[in-house]
Amino acid sequence: MKVIATVFRKEMLDTLRDRRAIIFMIVVPMLLFPMLFQVMISVSKRNAAKVQAKELRVVVIDQGNASRFVEMLRERGDVDVVTSVPRDSIAGLIQSDSLDGAFLFSSSFDDDVAEMKPGRVDFYFKSADETGIVRDRLQETLDRYEKEILDERFSRLELDQSIVEPVRVESHNVASMEERVGTRVGGLLPYMFILFCFLGSMYPAIDLGAGEKERGTLETLLTAPVNRFHILLGKFGVVVVSGLLSAAMSIAGLFVSFKRSPDLPPEFMNLIVRVLGWDTILLLMSLLVPLTIFFAGVLLSVSLTARSFKEAQSLISPLNIALILPAAMGLMPGVQLTLGNAWIPVMNVSLATKEIIAGTISPTELSVVYVSLIVLAVASLWGSAWWFGRESTIFRS
Amino acid sequence: MIQVRDVSKTFKLSRQQKREMGSHFRGETVEAVAGVSFDCQPGRVFGLLGPNGAGKTTTLRMIATTLRPTSGAISVAGHDVTREPEAVRATLGFLTGSTQLYDRLSVNELVRYYADLHGVPSGLYRQRREQIFAALEMESYADRRIAKLSTGMRQKVSIARTMIHDPDVLVLDEATAGLDVIASRTIIQLIRQARDRGKTVLFSTHRMGEVELLCDDLALMHQGRLLFNGTYAEFSASMQSPTLEDEFIRRIEAVGA
Repeated sequence: MKVIATVFRKEMLDTLRDRRAIIFMIVVPMLLFPMLFQVMISVSKRNAAKVQAKELRVVVIDQGNASRFVEMLRERGDVDVVTSVPRDSIAGLIQSDSLDGAFLFSSSFDDDVAEMKPGRVDFYFKSADETGIVRDRLQETLDRYEKEILDERFSRLELDQSIVEPVRVESHNVASMEERVGTRVGGLLPYMFILFCFLGSMYPAIDLGAGEKERGTLETLLTAPVNRFHILLGKFGVVVVSGLLSAAMSIAGLFVSFKRSPDLPPEFMNLIVRVLGWDTILLLMSLLVPLTIFFAGVLLSVSLTARSFKEAQSLISPLNIALILPAAMGLMPGVQLTLGNAWIPVMNVSLATKEIIAGTISPTELSVVYVSLIVLAVASLWGSAWWFGRESTIFRS
Repeated sequence: MIQVRDVSKTFKLSRQQKREMGSHFRGETVEAVAGVSFDCQPGRVFGLLGPNGAGKTTTLRMIATTLRPTSGAISVAGHDVTREPEAVRATLGFLTGSTQLYDRLSVNELVRYYADLHGVPSGLYRQRREQIFAALEMESYADRRIAKLSTGMRQKVSIARTMIHDPDVLVLDEATAGLDVIASRTIIQLIRQARDRGKTVLFSTHRMGEVELLCDDLALMHQGRLLFNGTYAEFSASMQSPTLEDEFIRRIEAVGA
């Protein structure tokens, strides 16, 4: 035990003195989310403000119809109504952004409306993406105009408006706020946790395995009268702590970015704090510890096989992709933890985390997740110990 | 005391390694050491000599338990290398060109780390540290990071690391390689002192001057086999060339490269 602690202390000191390791383990996970948030918020704000404030140039070809609609458009104050544009050049002008929209009323529009038939209007706009802010702004006036005609028809026919509402639905969603947050944000958190656990443990694992081999310090260490397994455990400890530290830093970063963004309502912040209580965090950590031990075993084995830091990096890179897929399962809507998929590593942590946050985890499934993780952690520890004991691993040349 | 009895070491080659050996190479294995036997006695310096690739480092690694012999037996201070590797390492101070130091630790931290791994109690550690640091004149850079040291300084730290647990047996592979004459002399003196205190010293070098200065016993290794094993006096008596270096080359050429 003393030897393990000695190795752990030294490896930790060595890792913390490595600037690259600090950047990978602490700085990147902590700053990534605040920075991402900042960029996302400022870009979307700037775009939205630009589109909202812009005066819209709209063509209305009414052929003497729908005079009330033109009036309503002008009343808005942010629409420049143009009437003298040839009909066939409209689409081209909108395409080239010279116009923002166009309304073409049929020549029989007013007559049709008066006869209680639908009056035809062609609405032209350009909306390549789904947001369609310009379209929404114009549609609003069109809706108001339609409502006026409808009201007028109801009063002419002396009918009550409730006849067009044969069923009145009052929705009552009994899902708790935790459950709703669990299914939305809940998918993202485990993804981050898992990813940063892996990324955070990756660098020290490479450094403490392949790095030591490349620098020739591993053979020096192996001349000490200590059990190789104890040396490995000391290294394991550092890799696991680094992974967990990295995940914790990313969560701290996320909290900071939530706190700093002024648009988030305080209720949302309170909710996040409530959902991520200490008991939840401890439960999540208890899943991450065996998972990170599993990562550490795999990473250290690969790292010890490699002859150099560079070779280890290129061997480990594909593992990233193998990890992202099951980790992202938590982000998919409708995928839930079952007794079957609770055995699949990484995916089970992703799904279980989501359910822990939502408060819907069942003890049976959680136990399966634990059993699966512990079996894997022990196997990876045992496997890497065996691997570390091989002459051909240490002296591979 | 080191006893090496009929020791061989064969490396099995992977497919890639075979490819890397070139088209003239045939076979599945490489025999790095073949049936080597010698004894190193306490209070004497044993010189293991041989050209590059002779199998010296492999032999020394087997003595240090980082490699296992394919056949034969080695005992260090009465402990068998395969059955009691940890006991062997506890009595051994091992230094080769491939035992490097941690750049990000200071000299003090590094030497302390190895003392802790060897289970040296604090009081004893301080006492030995004083002695070794004074003998090797290391005090002025004791808290400097290893990365900032010159080659000579590093080698002295390596020696300090090798001796901090006061091992009965010292295995030094080219301990003076790359050092200037002053640094080399300090290390030579330290080896002499160790011998005078009854330690077993196994020493490998390419510098013939050091062999004359230090070695009581001598083995000449070539292509995994011993060409000579005896005392230095016996070796000089049987010399057919004027200098040690010439004799060394003559014996190797007689076998054929």
